[in-house]
Amino acid sequence: MTVNNIIELRGVEKRYGTFLAASGINLDLKEGEFFSLLGPSGCGKTTVLRMIAGFQEPTKGTVLIDGQDMEGVPANNRPTNMVFQSYAIFPHLNVGNNVAYGLRGKAPKAEIEQRVAEALEMVELGGLQDRGASELSGGQRQRVALARALIMRPKVLLLDEPLSALDKKLREQMQFEMRNLQQSLGITFVMVTHDQYEAMTMSDRIGVMFNGRLKQVDTPTTLYARPCDQQVASFIGEMNILPSKLLGETGNMLSIDAAAFGRIEIERNPNVATSSKDMNIGIRPEQLEIAAEKPEDYPSTVQGTVSNVAFYGENIHYHIQVAGAEKPISVSVPNYFHTVDFKRGDAVWLGLQGASVIDLGTDIE
Amino acid sequence: MKRPSTLTAYAFLYLVFLYLPVLFLPLFSFNSGTIVAFPIKGWTLDWYRKLGEQDTLIQALWNSLGVGTVVALLSTAMGLFAARAFVRYRFRGQRAAEGLVMLPLVIPGIIVASSMLVLFLFLSLKPSLLTVVLGHTFLALPFSVSILKSAFDDFDGSLEEASYDLGVGVFETFRRVTLPVVSPGIVASMLVTFTVSFDEFVLAFFLSGNQPTLPVYIWSQIRFPAKLPNVLALGSILLLTSVLLLVLAEYFRRRSSASEVQ
Repeated sequence: MTVNNIIELRGVEKRYGTFLAASGINLDLKEGEFFSLLGPSGCGKTTVLRMIAGFQEPTKGTVLIDGQDMEGVPANNRPTNMVFQSYAIFPHLNVGNNVAYGLRGKAPKAEIEQRVAEALEMVELGGLQDRGASELSGGQRQRVALARALIMRPKVLLLDEPLSALDKKLREQMQFEMRNLQQSLGITFVMVTHDQYEAMTMSDRIGVMFNGRLKQVDTPTTLYARPCDQQVASFIGEMNILPSKLLGETGNMLSIDAAAFGRIEIERNPNVATSSKDMNIGIRPEQLEIAAEKPEDYPSTVQGTVSNVAFYGENIHYHIQVAGAEKPISVSVPNYFHTVDFKRGDAVWLGLQGASVIDLGTDIE
Repeated sequence: MKRPSTLTAYAFLYLVFLYLPVLFLPLFSFNSGTIVAFPIKGWTLDWYRKLGEQDTLIQALWNSLGVGTVVALLSTAMGLFAARAFVRYRFRGQRAAEGLVMLPLVIPGIIVASSMLVLFLFLSLKPSLLTVVLGHTFLALPFSVSILKSAFDDFDGSLEEASYDLGVGVFETFRRVTLPVVSPGIVASMLVTFTVSFDEFVLAFFLSGNQPTLPVYIWSQIRFPAKLPNVLALGSILLLTSVLLLVLAEYFRRRSSASEVQ
């Protein structure tokens, strides 16, 4: 079964004067997927979202929604609805009238009332129709904004940093709720966020943006395991990046000299290009073994000194200074083992498997 | 902590100098003698009673109320669009445009009045209430623009976008979202611009022809000593009304700022 593309961006570019907010954006979004645009602030992700919504026209390129070219179609005629970062709850209307806003005059009164009740039920605000806009908490405002957009039965729901205004606990709870909502409704959600954890926990696929360009579009697991370059690698989770030398290659495997870690065999990353002997490798902090004695069964080991310890509760982070490495190596250990408990200044061994090393290719300037 | 006493004394004298003369106005309006001087002869409400019997005064009052109402509507309507543009958009010549709108605040009234008279005569517009309305609208515009600009400053632009996004067009969005949300600012602007017009003398004096507004009428009566207490009574009523209107306007202006904060 093939799934239709609900949104297609073809060579989309947005220019403000001399500033390129977004350029060369090509993107296909499938029906029913939860897609996130992830990137640091100012990377152009909100611009892309606003071009889909119709608040901004691309300078170049085409936006197709459900196969229709959206050029010249204003926001009020597009089959998309948006949850704004500020939620944009109409302050002069109560909850019921906020949610009913887009349906007024377009459906019989009784039907509107029923759909408002259903929409509020869906976001767990059942019966709060008469509540004033100023009496709502942050989380409730977000739910009203969701209900107000979803009642329009959009083909695509756009979310602009929907959780950034909430505190941490509520944010985590809403991540799951929004994901469940999206799954049960089966409509496409496109979310803009700068929070990599938010993007990873909620999305089917993530598009990572830097400086107006879409760097990589992949599933969260692929992004984490096979980032397309150093920038993406260090934006998604933590990453130790080590300059290395390419010694040789056989099929899918690369033989490299990983500086302090010595000679090691790693798998080629199809998302990057290795164009010379100089290359970089990435090692996730949780992929390293740390031990007081030289660990066995590891093809590569190195000795170092603990330079910093940070306790996070669920895990412990160590910074290990290793001879031959510029920056200390980050190592993360789950707390439940509790077999490791090193202090600053302790001498330790690090163990590394070739399978947990990520090929980051050669820097292309 | 006590403030330095010289500063307190200065502040006290400043307020006395500023407001004591104003307080004499209502005080002498209750004086039964016709000469405005101490000692006060006796207390009376006669001057207030007599106000209602003077037809020319009543006519002048209606003139002022009419002019004030039209000026409030015109300048607030124009100010609404100008303020929204100034706050919402960035455009070439914006600062110059804002400066030009505020200019009437600093041009001497007598200059504006005489040049407007010349202009209207050139356009063969006879001095009348219509020319007063035009002059006062010009004068009231900076007030309505600055009040409404602060109303739009507190207005989250994504509210309008949310409305478009929900399938509602530009004009309906203006009616259903923009107007209601800035309505306290609109009420404040109408009250202030009404007061500006109602109290204005110089322009009205030049432009009213034989249809005097209330301040012009008062000026014409001051020449007759016997009428002075009467004028004081009228002035006291105007003073009280103006203060009440401005307090009300300030209340609405603050409400427009508060409604968005939450």
